Amino acid sequence: MTMSDIDRQIQSLLDCKIISEAEVKELCLKAREILVEESNVQRVDAPVTVCGDIHGQFWDLKKLFEVGGECPKTNYLFMGDFVDRGNHSVETFLLLLALKVRYPDRITLIRGNHESRQITKVYGFYDECFQKYGSANVWRYCCEIFDYLSLSAIIDDRIFCVHGGLSPSINTIDQIRTIDRMQEVPHNGAMCDLLWSDPDPDIYTGWGLSPRGAGFLFGEGVTKPFLHTNGLEMIARAHQLVMEGYKLMFDDTVVTVWSAPNYCYRCGNVAAILEFDSTLNRKFTIFRESDRNSLNTKSPQREGPPDYFL
Amino acid sequence: MHDNESGPARDDVIKGTDDDATVSRLSAVDLGYLDDPYVKHFVKRASRRPPIINRGTFLRTHALDTLVENFIQQSSDCKLKRQIVSLGAGSDTRYFKFKRKGLAVDKYFEIDFAESTTKKAMTIKKHKDLMDVLQGQQVRLGMGGTELYADDYCLLAADLREFELEVLPKLKAQGFDTSLPTLFLSECVLIYLQPQDSDAIVEWISKTMRAALFVLYEQIQPSDAFGAMMVRNLKARQIEIPGIYAYPSLESQEQRFLSRGWKAAKAVDMNSLQTEYLSPAEMERLSRLEIFDEVEEWQMLAAHYCVAWAHRVQQSSGTAQDANDAALLSSIDNMFAAVVQEK
Repeated sequence: MTMSDIDRQIQSLLDCKIISEAEVKELCLKAREILVEESNVQRVDAPVTVCGDIHGQFWDLKKLFEVGGECPKTNYLFMGDFVDRGNHSVETFLLLLALKVRYPDRITLIRGNHESRQITKVYGFYDECFQKYGSANVWRYCCEIFDYLSLSAIIDDRIFCVHGGLSPSINTIDQIRTIDRMQEVPHNGAMCDLLWSDPDPDIYTGWGLSPRGAGFLFGEGVTKPFLHTNGLEMIARAHQLVMEGYKLMFDDTVVTVWSAPNYCYRCGNVAAILEFDSTLNRKFTIFRESDRNSLNTKSPQREGPPDYFL
Repeated sequence: MHDNESGPARDDVIKGTDDDATVSRLSAVDLGYLDDPYVKHFVKRASRRPPIINRGTFLRTHALDTLVENFIQQSSDCKLKRQIVSLGAGSDTRYFKFKRKGLAVDKYFEIDFAESTTKKAMTIKKHKDLMDVLQGQQVRLGMGGTELYADDYCLLAADLREFELEVLPKLKAQGFDTSLPTLFLSECVLIYLQPQDSDAIVEWISKTMRAALFVLYEQIQPSDAFGAMMVRNLKARQIEIPGIYAYPSLESQEQRFLSRGWKAAKAVDMNSLQTEYLSPAEMERLSRLEIFDEVEEWQMLAAHYCVAWAHRVQQSSGTAQDANDAALLSSIDNMFAAVVQEK
């Protein structure tokens, strides 16, 4: 694969046009070479723009790049859940992956709980691959890459970034480094919790049972000691829909960033990205859904409107 | 709605909502949420729905089933003759589900557009397991195959917007009795009518029936961000829900009955229904059926649907010879309260 190949693929994907199955296979091989070198706790330097769930909302990802600046001009960190739910998981994930291959130092992708074989079979990515390629091959290539994605990142040794949250099995960042991440997301344990847990203002100490059936609920009382032990200032995470796009909790020690506007074309929420400048000052940018979404649902080959109870 | 050109086209869209709901019901059945051996006969193309839709379909069905079952059991315990009227029943299979379990009422009426009832009558006739439920009864088709009559089950073709002119004469011709305790069901039906049409139905029942229980399920909260998007998305599918503006909240749902002479009314959204009316064991069972990673979205969706119920019995005239009557009405009143589990 030459540089012009990858540039051409990026151009095609930016137009929301899929690339061939053979190209996906090669792109994934190339991505694997890069991702395998990454740590479970990937080091990221500020300035960086941190993004939450995208969920296959391709036109909204384009909007995000309009608002936040193009990659590689802007340095990006995406905190997982690239696929499922939206209509364009294939184009969304492949675009992010192609950007990763083309500009490995300007974009960081960490794993979300939807980057999993089991979840994508329920929430749409599997079906979409099958529908767009006529077989499950592309889904299989992508799932192999999911296993290589890093589990977390730390910005300038001060901001810990993870898709879900903390785990009762993890006290130190070093413990995360020892996880063997090259596997499907397990149903329990440290790796599962990092991708599934949620902060909960209603509990202070200890761990709560998650309504999602995986991960835990954690309060301020475990967050602050974790930050202190590891010399960190803040946890940035995604995973939960926030109608206002972002939410600060526990005296600004936890921030949730949500980057899928009008989630599932149904929720009516705004989205946010969080920019840390070189001295880690925070700037949130709010954006609304792309006009292309509503155009799409009216096109003759519309991908199906969101479900309601009728 | 009565005379404009988009009327018939809009009616077709509303009829289509039944197909959508039925596909969802089959999805929930196939995944083990619900037990309903009959719904498959009413679906042309099955498709698996997302967990959030399966859970909601389970909850609405479970809530209404529970109320219907309580009504049948309680009235049976009181040895009362009673009837059920399902408004806009579509492909609902409740009659068959309950009858199979030995739970029946004296007469179960279903009303819908002729197009729906024709399809349903044909489907019933075509499938042995549906006909088996009607075994021992005389089953005949009428009105050019648009209607089906059995001893305790009647499928009637009529337009709910013409309740007194069309629906009532048909009901009465099939033995509908305004003196019997009657359960009226509306599952996502009244909301498609203009408020003056749905109000007329609620008002007629409260004025005329000696003892009635009304149970409905429909959308609420059109004005917050999620609700506004819901109305917009439905509109993009040509689905209009004019009733949501007339009854946008739990309070207004209760008031629609209380202000028309009903004795008691209560509306709860699907979140409360899940937390307050579903047993922990049932909740535990649900959580094992499918992965459920739509927690925030579910809470929002569930806040935009409600189940409401209301009941009333007429006052007896209070004269001496009415003493028996008063006792009866009072026992029906207690029975209704037991059905809806009023504390």
